Amino acid sequence: MPVSTAVHSLAGAVRKQEQGLLNCVHCGFCLPACPTYRRLGDEADSPRGRLYLMQAVVEGRLDPGAEAFQTHIGRCLGCRACEPVCPSGVEYGHLLELARQVGGDARRPPIPARALLRVFGTAWMARPAMFAGRVLRATGLPALLTRILAGRRPPKGARLAVAMLAASAPPPPLPGRAEARPETVTQRRLEDKPTVGVLDGCVQAGLFSRVNQATVRVLRANGYRVVSVPNQGCCGALHAHGGDLDAARSLARRNLEAFEAAGVDIVALNASGCGATMAEYGSLLADDEEMAPRARALASRVRDISQLLAERGPIPGGSVPLKVTYDAPCHLLHAQGVADPPARVLDSIPGLDVVPLPGAAECCGGAGIYGLTNPRLGGWIGSDKVRAVLGTGAAALVTGNPGCMMQIGAGLALTGAGIPVLHLVELLDESYRRGGLYGKAGR
Amino acid sequence: MIDSGVDRVVPVLSVLPEDRVLVGESARDWARGRSNGPGWMPGDPEVPVIVFPASVEEVSALVRVANEKGMRLLPAGLGSWLGGGGWTHARDVIVSCVRLNAVEHYEPADLTLTAGAGLGMTELDGVLRPNGQWLPMDAPGADAGTVGGLVACGVSGAMQGRYGAVRDNVLGIDVVTGAGRMLRIGGRVVKNVAGYDLVRLFTGSRGSLGIITSVSVRLFPRPETDVTLCYAGRAAEMAALAHAMCTSSLPVAAVGLEAGNGDTICTARLLGSAGEVEEARSRLIDNAGQEPRRIVRDDESALLHRERAAWEEGSALVVRLAALPDRLADTFERARVLAGALGGGVAADALRGAVRVKASPDAGRDEDIVRALSRARGEMEEAGGSMTLSQARGKVAARVGWAGGRGSAPALGARIKELFDPASVLASRCP
Amino acid sequence: MVPATLAKSLVEICGRDGVILDEDRLLVYESDALTAYRHRPGAVVLPRSTEQVQGAVRAVAEHGLPIVPRGAGTGLSGGAVALDGAVVIGTARMNRILDIDAPNRRAVLQPGVINAELSAAARVHGLYYAPDPSSQTTCTIGGNVAENSGGPHCLKYGVTSRYVTGLAVVLADGSVVRLGGQGREAAGYDLVGLFVGSEGCFGIATEIEVGLLPVPEGVRTLLGIFDRIDDAGQAVSDIVSAGLLPAALEIIDGPTIRAVEDSVFAAGYPTDAEAALVIEFDGLKAGLDEDVERAAVLCERAGAREVRSARDEEERIALWKGRKKAFGAMGRIAPDLLVQDATVPRTTLPAILRGISEIGERYDLVVANVFHAGDGNLHPNILFDRRDEHELERVERASKEIMQLCVDSGGTITGEHGVGLDKKHHMELIYGPDELAAMWGVRRAFDPGGVMNPGKVLPEGAGGD
Repeated sequence: MPVSTAVHSLAGAVRKQEQGLLNCVHCGFCLPACPTYRRLGDEADSPRGRLYLMQAVVEGRLDPGAEAFQTHIGRCLGCRACEPVCPSGVEYGHLLELARQVGGDARRPPIPARALLRVFGTAWMARPAMFAGRVLRATGLPALLTRILAGRRPPKGARLAVAMLAASAPPPPLPGRAEARPETVTQRRLEDKPTVGVLDGCVQAGLFSRVNQATVRVLRANGYRVVSVPNQGCCGALHAHGGDLDAARSLARRNLEAFEAAGVDIVALNASGCGATMAEYGSLLADDEEMAPRARALASRVRDISQLLAERGPIPGGSVPLKVTYDAPCHLLHAQGVADPPARVLDSIPGLDVVPLPGAAECCGGAGIYGLTNPRLGGWIGSDKVRAVLGTGAAALVTGNPGCMMQIGAGLALTGAGIPVLHLVELLDESYRRGGLYGKAGR
Repeated sequence: MIDSGVDRVVPVLSVLPEDRVLVGESARDWARGRSNGPGWMPGDPEVPVIVFPASVEEVSALVRVANEKGMRLLPAGLGSWLGGGGWTHARDVIVSCVRLNAVEHYEPADLTLTAGAGLGMTELDGVLRPNGQWLPMDAPGADAGTVGGLVACGVSGAMQGRYGAVRDNVLGIDVVTGAGRMLRIGGRVVKNVAGYDLVRLFTGSRGSLGIITSVSVRLFPRPETDVTLCYAGRAAEMAALAHAMCTSSLPVAAVGLEAGNGDTICTARLLGSAGEVEEARSRLIDNAGQEPRRIVRDDESALLHRERAAWEEGSALVVRLAALPDRLADTFERARVLAGALGGGVAADALRGAVRVKASPDAGRDEDIVRALSRARGEMEEAGGSMTLSQARGKVAARVGWAGGRGSAPALGARIKELFDPASVLASRCP
Repeated sequence: MVPATLAKSLVEICGRDGVILDEDRLLVYESDALTAYRHRPGAVVLPRSTEQVQGAVRAVAEHGLPIVPRGAGTGLSGGAVALDGAVVIGTARMNRILDIDAPNRRAVLQPGVINAELSAAARVHGLYYAPDPSSQTTCTIGGNVAENSGGPHCLKYGVTSRYVTGLAVVLADGSVVRLGGQGREAAGYDLVGLFVGSEGCFGIATEIEVGLLPVPEGVRTLLGIFDRIDDAGQAVSDIVSAGLLPAALEIIDGPTIRAVEDSVFAAGYPTDAEAALVIEFDGLKAGLDEDVERAAVLCERAGAREVRSARDEEERIALWKGRKKAFGAMGRIAPDLLVQDATVPRTTLPAILRGISEIGERYDLVVANVFHAGDGNLHPNILFDRRDEHELERVERASKEIMQLCVDSGGTITGEHGVGLDKKHHMELIYGPDELAAMWGVRRAFDPGGVMNPGKVLPEGAGGD
């Protein structure tokens, strides 16, 4: 078997984990945390099993092109729910990216997946694609199709794609209205006013620009100085998760330079998938002698929007009388370990009734381009999430990542339940608008 | 043909000295004084033989002789459970282990004790009491028996919910199997998963697989406070109260129901530290919504429950009706109907949903008894429960059957019997 | 690799996605949580129902191949390892709770239900499932039944066999027997009790009935910090002798403390201590303060440097997490780990702990102890690096000496992990040929053809064949 450089770097990483005594002791604590194992019951679809397969490749017992390696590494959602429960501290997410690279070298990923990554990573391709998406969305055709296609079948394939696009549309007006006492609340004036740059992101900028705009407004309302960061781009998350580490690195370098040039104290993220990747730029660029220290420095400044808001309270706005439930994005909860701040933000919104979502910590099945690579399993996981949301009786679902918004939103739309999915900041933004924090002009 | 007992006594005398073999009238006297008084012995034309081995080697020699001569042995302790279905043939030789009664190992701080199977439960309690410990296995009639008998019968009492069943508290046993093998299984540590759990197999096997010569048991600290609340009222009302007490989250050690001629009595026993018991007492009364008729404490409470455990003593016919605990009211009612037919009383262990019925000595003709029992069994099994005989005369037992037809895996049981007692020298019925 | 005819019938029974035949995919089933033993199975079957288990058992047995039942593969004795190309029957897909009967405090489940998830489901009714092995967040009830699992709270509440009240078992011939069941008192031997702890050698339990307990309304947890492990052992003896019955009494020694504190489960134990004693009381709130106070005094008298009380539920959970995840955290201080499991009479604990540490010193090995002190159930973990052959040999010798030491004190070779493959040859330390022959006989009564999990538990030739 020819040993590729990718296998070398996976071997190196496994060795490094061993030397750092972060190796898998095969205890099996990760099994129930893994959405794919829970559904399939095959240990090869568990983190422990996948690590075992990686180890087998490193030991030369298994060809990375083998069906077993391709299938089971490919089936991983990359949700990293296994990391917090691992007593040995195995850095699974990192090993997975290397394993994907090894797998990709041995066998090219399917064309649609490669094409999609290419589009996201290349600005001149991304912009028109997103524009086309917005145009199509604006026609109302996806929404109409979604209504037609609604039914009990699990969301997957073209049905899912159409519904996802529809689900990225702005939510309908929320119940309640603006309050007539704008003078009572004033914007917080603080001595300490850190400079914040917001990652616009690719999908976020393309389909969720309203969330980006809301992010800027709520940050300002909470006393942050938001500056624009020109020349930034896709964070590389989808590429890294897919094992295209070279592409991810070049995207990381570009962002590194852009944010350094902007001179920000904090990099704010409203897409937790991007947040997790940027927070790990240090290890992504670890082998780049010149960039590594700079990457580590930038990574240490990465904060999720919910953290920044929670640190400031956040300041209260107007009432939004709505029953909502919250789903924790994997890359926020598991990869970044951010558990409480979103709850604190929700708690700060007057009138909001937050009910717990059973299985909120489990992946929704969105997982980047998972719907494309593993439609059946993704659909299964997605419909479980949708069922859980419907079971809460909430009128809206709140989360903090565009991928999750589209995945769950599509699933909900296909049930015909008419439950919108909101980004955390959208909801806070609406509360601030109603509370008059932005002045009488509204938005 | 009148049997003189000689054909059984002669081979026995080759292993035991004469003074440890009882035959004829003296054997009848021993049995009469100790057993639960079923009619198996006095009226029997056969001559009983009872032997008292004083060592494991003697037990083993007896089993060997039995295998050679085709004798049948009936393992026993003080004889208090012999009416429990063991006595199938008067010609069997009763092997009483009462001489194997040494306390072999007792380290109070380990909360474990190893003793000869023949140690009386009352004597055992005398050993444990000075150290503030006890073996809280209050099986019906246990006080009158031995620790080996407790294990061999494996019947649990009212405190099972709190302390576990007998099977949960036996750590190890020494046994001479029907094939004459001396086995030492389990140990004297509280957690042990080395090999298959033969200790549990022998616990409750009623001497059908081997003669238990020594047992190691797990002990418990004797609770500081012992309080019993006694309520009285109509049967249905008391059954409902008992069930409510069982499903509350309060740590009730035992909940009993007893019906005789007058009111039905419901008792709730609380064990623990003074503070805990006091708290549970006041909350139980709050939950019940009424003051108990009386409250008894400590020695008086213990006595009440000892009497309750010995409730069936002297009855020739004792029956158990069991179903899931939430069916208690129904089970209790069925038991009362049966008790009416048998002219006796009922006592329930509400936590387990089991009700005992004892017949009065003049319960009537066998045919009527058999009919009443068969009907009760049919009804209980229909309701997903069971009716089993605890004590019965051979004739009644033969017609009704000790247990219903729903024995688990009879083929497996038979293979296991064959394994340990291939020549069937042990006379006990399989449990 | 199994014969094609067998592969075909397995697929017919369990569906294409219920049978794993690919050699590469089978790699991950090579071992359980004791990675010292690795054997690739001939196939893995993942049935969803009792009927599928029956069909699979029949098909495999017809082909004369052995069968190994497997739950979550978290066992620590090599019990779920497939020797001689055995077919693994995994229960991961049989993970439904069939009934929670709250008024009768009982539940009926499939074997693949995860221990902690049963408790979580029962909690809605104010009930829980008492046995709590350290791997409870991942291990299955079926596995618990096979191993008769214990856990920290077994001191007060007893082990798995106390709670298992009924079973449906698929025997080696594919037939189903129903054993026990609450609410009826049937004739026969305690075959439920006999089956629990049979390590997959008697059959596969496909339906399990268990008893549940009410959730105690109050829990208080204490932490005693000791500079000498002997003193902690003494405190345990003193607490038990004083008539206190804690829900749990756990000792974590110095090396383990340092491993835990270094992991993501850091519980705030001082890293320079030589022992931490976790004491937990539960029950009615009213009685707890008194118990806690008495235990604290006894700890201090035994020489505790400090006695802390968990201030809130969060602290309590963190404290337990450190204890429960200690095994995994051990990976942080050495590449390899040999987990031992022996029970000794509680009063011999201080002497045994001294003995173990002497053995460790003699062989120049780090032995980290974390164990259920109240039950006398020790887990000396020997840390090593398997790449060092000389060290490996020392580990084996030290391990054997530790085992002998425990047995000599009146103890036994396994308290809760089971015999499996790992301790098969230790069985002769505690049992003679007659006892082993009796166990072989019982095994044959269930499985005359020797189909179920052969090569485990009983040493060959010891009174058997």
